[in-house]
Amino acid sequence: MEALKIERIDPYRLKIFKTPPMRTWGIVYANKVIEAGLEKDEALKQVANVACLPGIIGPSIAMPDIHWGYGFPIGGVAAFSLQDGVISPGGVGYDINCGIRCICTGLSIEEILPIKEKLLGEVFHRVPAGLGARHKRFKLSQKELKEIMIKGALWAVKKGFGTYDDLEAHEDYGSIPGADPDMVSGRACERGLPEVGTLGSGNHFIEIDVVDKIMDKKIARMFSLFKDQILIQVHTGSRGFGHQICDDYIRIMLSAGSRYNIYLPDRQLACAPIDTKEAKSYLGAMAAAANFAFANREMITYLIRETFEDLFGKSWENLGLRLLYDCCHNIAKIESIPWKGKSIEACIHRKGATRALPSGDARLPLRFKDTGQPVLIPGDMGRASFILVAGDNAKETFFSACHGAGRLLSRREAKRRAKGRSVFDELSKKEIYAIAASKATLAEEMPESYKDVSDVVDTISGAGVAKVIAKLRPIGMIKG
Amino acid sequence: MGYQYIDHTADLGIKVTSPDIKGLFEEAALAVVKIMGGAAKHKKISLSVTVDGLDRVDTLVRWLQEIIYLIAVKDIRIADLEITYIDDTRLEALVKGIYSHSGLSTEIKAVTYHNLEIKKRHDNLYEVAIIFDT
Repeated sequence: MEALKIERIDPYRLKIFKTPPMRTWGIVYANKVIEAGLEKDEALKQVANVACLPGIIGPSIAMPDIHWGYGFPIGGVAAFSLQDGVISPGGVGYDINCGIRCICTGLSIEEILPIKEKLLGEVFHRVPAGLGARHKRFKLSQKELKEIMIKGALWAVKKGFGTYDDLEAHEDYGSIPGADPDMVSGRACERGLPEVGTLGSGNHFIEIDVVDKIMDKKIARMFSLFKDQILIQVHTGSRGFGHQICDDYIRIMLSAGSRYNIYLPDRQLACAPIDTKEAKSYLGAMAAAANFAFANREMITYLIRETFEDLFGKSWENLGLRLLYDCCHNIAKIESIPWKGKSIEACIHRKGATRALPSGDARLPLRFKDTGQPVLIPGDMGRASFILVAGDNAKETFFSACHGAGRLLSRREAKRRAKGRSVFDELSKKEIYAIAASKATLAEEMPESYKDVSDVVDTISGAGVAKVIAKLRPIGMIKG
Repeated sequence: MGYQYIDHTADLGIKVTSPDIKGLFEEAALAVVKIMGGAAKHKKISLSVTVDGLDRVDTLVRWLQEIIYLIAVKDIRIADLEITYIDDTRLEALVKGIYSHSGLSTEIKAVTYHNLEIKKRHDNLYEVAIIFDT
């Protein structure tokens, strides 16, 4: 591929011009600070690589938390035609439906501070975290695992681990249609069985935040947010179950690739035309993994609610532990998008990006019809997170927004910089209490490993894709 | 010979070198064992591993995925491994170690195909750079 030709369109957008073998142009949402950080890795080339895939509609898009991934960049969004487009397991990623949820509480900071460490310690005890975490409490049968694949969060609700009210606060009501357990390998099931209700490792976390600042009083009230309120964020996905499904299907797509004669600038982009057997099988297996992830986060929520009940001696309903929203970060879905003045169906890949439906969208549940969908943007563990709401310009990103701060340092560089320091003590000085399954993870995930989430939020809100509602400040977290 | 880390923003990468392909595949597997914290001292069990790949690169990915599976899912800690047969699309190996629930140090979710290429350098050493999803 020729050297990329990149031009700034406005304060929030860069354009990558179409040069062979690209089939379309690229749009990267980035202010000047983010742009400066993009020079040193391959993320922009990956935006251009995605633009080479057949049947891509509109631009290959990257969100402001873009960073170097494998195949797609992290923060990549691309729409593919259902007639001549493709689906790529690598474009979804290994952690299928890795996602975030935000649980509100009716509690304010003064009520939590005296018991913060005890609370986190108790949650850490109940939610298995770290590498190879397995659940001893939720022992599932193969039959139950199949039900989870099909029903997602609804499975947890039917078992009494959640409520129907929770489902309304999920992307796609916590269950993606079309899941096909027969398309999931035995090895994926073997990995998934002990992992429902576990956090995992790496960048997965449970975090206690306090609402630091409200930027939009009206919508904050509609989301039941108030200043100094305690919120809990949970970030995890489909664990080894999803990793195995992705791995299985990249192989299937690579084997099939020669039949479909698709040019791949990177083998990790292995894909198949959407109307083929391979693509349909992947969509069925991917939906199963996505539903597994919804159920996983719902089970973790059950364990968090249970902990609050035990510590406060009141029901979680009385404590106001209501789910604000749960959304996917790594997913491919058939969705309606506006294209050339019409509404068309396309296969939207989001790799490290979140859906963002603006107010009035018919797909939104009643509670978000007038506000738009909440967009949750967790930051690093030392600075801030933000709650936004989808804006009108989300139509230009195929109704997508950013999913976090985006990594700045490699894990190795982070560990190198953390040598001789105590990340735990540094966080403690900011009155943030951290528990980590491994000391190395805490170093890898330290605040300076990430971009400043404020630049990400400045870009996405400046571009009108989402609007800032509230700023959160972390006071404690569990790292996997 | 052996491996060294390469920087990748989101994940973890290693560069492996060896005078021959068999050694390259063995060194890469030993690197995975070391990174995950899946090493053992004793050789109480011996497992035969066979993988079939589409080509040399795919065989390498499948071989390393097999090692990850043995460590992360089957609770095997590895003391030694030896490739007994290798060509571009098939690999047979003996893996020796113990069953153990001992904690691991780094999760490797998967071996990616991202820019994966096995090269023969001017000094006749084989080299491969592998990016893992962690």
